[in-house]
Amino acid sequence: MNRCNRKVAGTLPYRYGFGGRHKPWRKYTVIYKSVLLENLQYVANVALGFFSYFVFIYIYNRLWGYMYRSPEELIAGYTKEQMIWYVMMTEMLYFGANANVVAGEVARDIRGGNIAYLMNKPYHYTLYILARYTGEWSVRLPMYAVFAVLIGTALVGPLPHFQWITVPLMALCAVLGITINAVFKLCISLFSFWIEDTTPFQWIYNKLILVVGILFPVEIFPEILQPLLKLTPIYTVCYGPAKLIVDFSPEKCVEILAAQAVYLAVGSGLMLLIYRKGVKRLYVNGG
Amino acid sequence: MLTAAKNQLRVCFLSIKYNIMREMVNKVTFLTNVVFMVLNDASILVQWFILFRLRDDVGGYSLREVLMLWGLVAASFGLSNILFARVLSLPDLIINGKLDAFLVQPKKVLLGVLTSETRISAIGDLLYGVILVCLCKPGVGGFFLFLLFVIMGALAFTAFALLLGSLSFWFVRMDILQNQMLMGMINFGTYPDGIFQGDARVLLYLLMPVGMALWQPAHVMACFDGKMFLAVLGYVLLLSVAAVAVFYRGLRRYASGNLMEARL
Repeated sequence: MNRCNRKVAGTLPYRYGFGGRHKPWRKYTVIYKSVLLENLQYVANVALGFFSYFVFIYIYNRLWGYMYRSPEELIAGYTKEQMIWYVMMTEMLYFGANANVVAGEVARDIRGGNIAYLMNKPYHYTLYILARYTGEWSVRLPMYAVFAVLIGTALVGPLPHFQWITVPLMALCAVLGITINAVFKLCISLFSFWIEDTTPFQWIYNKLILVVGILFPVEIFPEILQPLLKLTPIYTVCYGPAKLIVDFSPEKCVEILAAQAVYLAVGSGLMLLIYRKGVKRLYVNGG
Repeated sequence: MLTAAKNQLRVCFLSIKYNIMREMVNKVTFLTNVVFMVLNDASILVQWFILFRLRDDVGGYSLREVLMLWGLVAASFGLSNILFARVLSLPDLIINGKLDAFLVQPKKVLLGVLTSETRISAIGDLLYGVILVCLCKPGVGGFFLFLLFVIMGALAFTAFALLLGSLSFWFVRMDILQNQMLMGMINFGTYPDGIFQGDARVLLYLLMPVGMALWQPAHVMACFDGKMFLAVLGYVLLLSVAAVAVFYRGLRRYASGNLMEARL
């Protein structure tokens, strides 16, 4: 068994994509495009996943239908239509940009030793994974978005006070939320350098996102918890994008985008740091 | 014949035992999987506490009844995945010709396949279900009734998965259908039946074994009804027999692959 050479382990500047003379991000764009084209071949497989999404939405439609005593009632400031659309949008992001596959791939690469081959390529491993992931959800998410709009309109009617002009800002917020989620899931997977199986930690993270961010808006929790929840990734990953879709306001948009910028910067720094520390611990079996 | 059945069960028991022992080689991973699955399941309680803050009942269920339902579903799913986890990868075994390794073994093919894998995290599901029901203080009789329903629920879950998985003998992509239907069963089963009305409710009794294998047992646990208990028992037996029949009917169509595989 050989200890990996530190220089090979990813500390050279070009590995971060900053060292090239021209268009340093081009290689990640190429990776993105190749995965995007590959995934376009399997759109039928994506459509098969609509059944699970529909089951979730149907259940929450019935559940909130039961919880609201009258159509005019407000729960945590949300009408019944807004509450159901909120769940539909968060579930759309969850299903359409499922990061579990990517997180599992990273953990398998590290545990199985495949990382030894990938880290020697002329790209930074974590950015390579993020580029691949973006290529995957670029196909899935729009399909889920169309499906969500169709079944949402059929089940609860159009979203009240929706303004098409705000769609670009909502899309930006959703893209940032998806990327932040992927970065945090990657951070957890990178702990495979230290512990054999990080899946249990992924469960807990997923469940926190699901229960606190996807199923309910932050306003439904006790007031004492709300400031705390706004400091967690949940606020930027699911609440922010869905809140803007169901109840857009310019002030809220600026607040959420600012929080996302901070989270993305901190999360990315953490991801690169964990990776750097992790590869130093890497042992490669010969064979 | 009795000795043959006894030997068969002994082999199954040993298979499950060795599955678990193999996973226990790394004790930290084993314990992490079990403990974190309990925590993972427990985190969903937040949802119910929130909903019961808004209303006194959800779909006609009190918080205690919801917790009993959750305990039953988690424990049934857990037991099924401890004993018969391989049923979830049955389509893969059929499509890729991996059944060959089981066909040549001197034991029943189906039992050999089903007991060849154990999901360790499922121990956490089973533990969580038992803990949750104990917290509801069902009494000694109620607890034994719960255990009976857990066994029936595990059989129903396995039989339903086997039925769908066995369709791979005839059709492709049954893995996706199996996965989605089982997830649908769990998702529907963990919500009170009172929120579903009309045709959807009928479908959940006919298309998926949610009504008879999960909701009715929860009702019987809340208020014992001998006839319904027997109806659930009969339903589970019927479903199991149908699933086994479909598997062996499909096995006749099985075309062996050229995959070289050894099972030690």
